[in-house]
Amino acid sequence: MRLLVLLWSLGPLLWQLRTSLLRPEALVAPLLEGSPWTLANYQLVLSGDPPFWRYLSNSALVGLVTTGLTLLLAVPCAYGLQKQRGPLRWGVGLGLVAAAMFPTVLLFLALLEIARSFGLANDLLALSLPYTALSLPLAVLLLRAAFADLPVELEDAARLEGLDLGQRLRHVLLPLLGPALASTGILVFLASWNEYAIALTWISRNDLLTLPIAIARIGGSSVFTIPYGAFAAATVLGSLPLLLLVLLAQRAIVSGLTRGAVKG
Amino acid sequence: MNLTPAAGLELRQLCRDLGERRLLDRLDLKVAPGECLALLGPSGCGKSTTLRLVAGLDPASAGKVLLDGEDLTDRGPGERQVAMVFQSYALYPHLSVEGNLALGLKVRGVPVRERQRRIEAILDLLQLQELRLRRPAQLSGGQRQRVALARALLRQPRIVLLDEPMSNLDAQLREELRPELRRLLCGREQPVIYVTHDQQEAVGMADRIALLEGGRLQQVGSPRELYADPANRFVASFLGRPAINLLAMEPHRQLGLRPEHLRLGDDGAVAARLQRREWWGHQQLLWLDTPWGTVRVLTAPETPLPTEPRLSWQRQHELWFDPRSGERLAHGRI
Repeated sequence: MRLLVLLWSLGPLLWQLRTSLLRPEALVAPLLEGSPWTLANYQLVLSGDPPFWRYLSNSALVGLVTTGLTLLLAVPCAYGLQKQRGPLRWGVGLGLVAAAMFPTVLLFLALLEIARSFGLANDLLALSLPYTALSLPLAVLLLRAAFADLPVELEDAARLEGLDLGQRLRHVLLPLLGPALASTGILVFLASWNEYAIALTWISRNDLLTLPIAIARIGGSSVFTIPYGAFAAATVLGSLPLLLLVLLAQRAIVSGLTRGAVKG
Repeated sequence: MNLTPAAGLELRQLCRDLGERRLLDRLDLKVAPGECLALLGPSGCGKSTTLRLVAGLDPASAGKVLLDGEDLTDRGPGERQVAMVFQSYALYPHLSVEGNLALGLKVRGVPVRERQRRIEAILDLLQLQELRLRRPAQLSGGQRQRVALARALLRQPRIVLLDEPMSNLDAQLREELRPELRRLLCGREQPVIYVTHDQQEAVGMADRIALLEGGRLQQVGSPRELYADPANRFVASFLGRPAINLLAMEPHRQLGLRPEHLRLGDDGAVAARLQRREWWGHQQLLWLDTPWGTVRVLTAPETPLPTEPRLSWQRQHELWFDPRSGERLAHGRI
């Protein structure tokens, strides 16, 4: 059963990897002569202008700034919402769920107008503004749930010891929220890494493109053939940083869980 | 015990409302320096609410909290020099024992050397030296309680509050720890308030007991006073195990008789028939059918039962109550 699940989720990735290593002719029919394997796809992708790592670093920059900004805003929001009582809390919570469910695609035209009138086009840092705004509802909801799971008495004990709000967050609450912060951060980073519509409309300069747009453009140069191999190679290269990130964060999440809670 | 008239903790007409509900209703209470007062009552009676008001964790809706004559009512919890041991101990799970103790001092800017000296002293006092690097998850219940106590005492509090500190421990450990807790807490100069729902613990720990029910103070006094001279039916039936027999002998009066005050013999006022017998080792509890309902009687374990047992008691042990209000009626009246 586990094997089945593993195959189910890893299958497309492995197929992508295989495609990226095959010669284009080998994709449609078995080759009669010579080896079907090649690194040409990777050479093609990496030798582009600007070089591929440029797109990677563009995406990483936007992703990191988005994640940082989102967490920075979401933590106080989630804390405040968790402390709130009565109808306001309910209403804001409902509003956040609605915002988190709203289809992004409906927004990008309006966002484009905003970008135009504020001169935000072709600016990577500015791109992280809509990304942060779009990630915020979900991040606040996730972190609020995490705050709710912490025992109230922990914060009471800290208040009695004279810790002010900032100190309580820094020394008591946030260290305990480590795993939740890590998983929320990954989700936000992934959303930013994969985002297409806004990046497509906000960025036009070639050297500022983010990864999804850059990959889409690989196909743009040829009309009659679709360079599956190059697509696959770019996708594999684009997934590597994510793999690394998740592996690192996973360690943080797991070690956070084994720390032991308050329960007697 | 009082050095000056105002010394110690005083609660004056303290109230706490939550929405429409009144959790605590005009509580007046005094705790002398060095005195240990137990707040006793069933769950939801307002005892934890009182503790949180004294600590400043919740704001009072009305009334005052005074310490040595100084008004603490509007001060935040961090400015009251109040220490509290929580039911769950509320140790910081991500910090070692030492880290748990150090955090409060660090934040308040106590210099490193002073900090170290005080932590060493408290670790010695509570015999926690070997555990200093452990995380809370690696400690037993009793050890966690000691760490929580160490953290509370470390800051040299002016008031010590304990919220059911023993309820997470098993019965045997509880009895072992009680004298230790008394030694550490009581007889220092601060007032101590100990919240519990367990009357044995209250009697074992406290100099005086304040019994609460429904957000109101029912009676405050020494355990002996509450047992012998209860203000109302609630106090009479909450204290004493097995519980007092309440007999509706007359339409306008209810008679309370404690099981340990009843005698079984050949002659007596009331005829009884044995229904059930519980053997407790040092005593036995007899359940008897009488014209007024079932009555519990506590006797020595080997007492022979007469063929036609009758109940008797001494007039001085009668406690009369108003059946409706539960208020105690004047003593010995017929």
